[in-house]
Amino acid sequence: MPKSFFIDTSRCTACRGCQIACKEWNGLPANHTKQTGTHQNPPDLNPNNYKLVRFSEYLDGDAVRWVFFSDQCRHCQDPPCISVGGALVDGAMIHDKQTGAVIYTEKTREISEKDFEEIRQACPYNIPRRDPKTGQISKCTMCFDRVSHGLIPACVKACPTGALNFGERQQMLDMASAHLAEVKKTFPKAMLADPDSVSVIYLLTDDPQKYYRFSVAQNDSGMNRKMFLAQLFAPVKKSASSVLRR
Amino acid sequence: MDYNRRDFLKVTGTGVLGLSLLQLGIDIQPVQAYAVALKIAETREVVTICPFCAVSCHIIANVRGGKLISTEGDPEYPINEGALCAKGAALLSMTTNDDRLKKPMYRAPGGSRWEEKSWEWTLEQIATRVKKVRDKDLILKNDKGQTVNRLESMFFIGTSHADNEECAVAHQMARGLGIVHIDHQART
Repeated sequence: MPKSFFIDTSRCTACRGCQIACKEWNGLPANHTKQTGTHQNPPDLNPNNYKLVRFSEYLDGDAVRWVFFSDQCRHCQDPPCISVGGALVDGAMIHDKQTGAVIYTEKTREISEKDFEEIRQACPYNIPRRDPKTGQISKCTMCFDRVSHGLIPACVKACPTGALNFGERQQMLDMASAHLAEVKKTFPKAMLADPDSVSVIYLLTDDPQKYYRFSVAQNDSGMNRKMFLAQLFAPVKKSASSVLRR
Repeated sequence: MDYNRRDFLKVTGTGVLGLSLLQLGIDIQPVQAYAVALKIAETREVVTICPFCAVSCHIIANVRGGKLISTEGDPEYPINEGALCAKGAALLSMTTNDDRLKKPMYRAPGGSRWEEKSWEWTLEQIATRVKKVRDKDLILKNDKGQTVNRLESMFFIGTSHADNEECAVAHQMARGLGIVHIDHQART
């Protein structure tokens, strides 16, 4: 059964327990960072941080809003990164249909820097990062090791406020709708970010751009990513593969 | 492979015209089975208490061959229900970090350099200096002649790594010396 995250940002206090739990479970080393005037630290995702709590503050009329975005790979239903890079090296980028996890393996070291740029550009959420030393491309693994052994991801396990949730996709979608109805009473502009096309569904309390540039793939374009990809793939799936085989 | 984020956004807004050649370049990956081992498999679970604050969350420590492999919140403990904050979540690093202090460090007054000292030397120094200051500054009576036994020139700082009982003992010691400036350094 496909799994999903539901991340209710209205419940996030930016304690960053998720960010640390991720590092601890994955054995990722510390980064040398500098004070940049924000609690967001490190400043961006990198090969040592698959998870990053992004901080954003802005004025909403007279009220100061401070919103937090626990950024990570969305594990897209139809991952554009795999559409672009999946065929480059066999077994380097995998979409596990069982869980819905998008996984980059050590074989990504065989992918060139130029191809990596294409992969990164293809990601609607600007997630993949490449270690310049090893050449390995990395990002959130959905704690595939834990999930395939019946445990929940380390970040979700650590979350003390219930902002992060993980479970069967339908269960998460139901939870997202229920939370949205409740949060809308306080924040009328509250919305779910791309719920139909990703496995990591965020509940945002305000305009997505107030959170982070890549909090959603696109805004109200009239056509979401899933519809786009369905159109892109469906009619030519067979003919494309037959052409490639020739 | 000429398919990037800009195209993605453009296409979602304008439709998929003109993309047919591109489509031919996109391979559909077959469904793959991918399995990995769990690093805490076959470890012994030891329940411990987070040392950082008074909430005292329970933590499960996974131990194999006397070595700490992983730590995470204990879901069966009713207070934290498996959850941890950033400090508690970093417990593994706290024990394995190479930068962790293992011996007392001493910097002389006005000095700019830390030097490693033995526990014996350190405790002796603390006792000597505390006694010296107390002997000099202890206020026995106030202006009205009432007995106060107050030591105002010393500040006592505790630690949120200490549990309730340890704090009680430390507090009694500080009061016993006449110290009135006492802080716990709890960061909850």
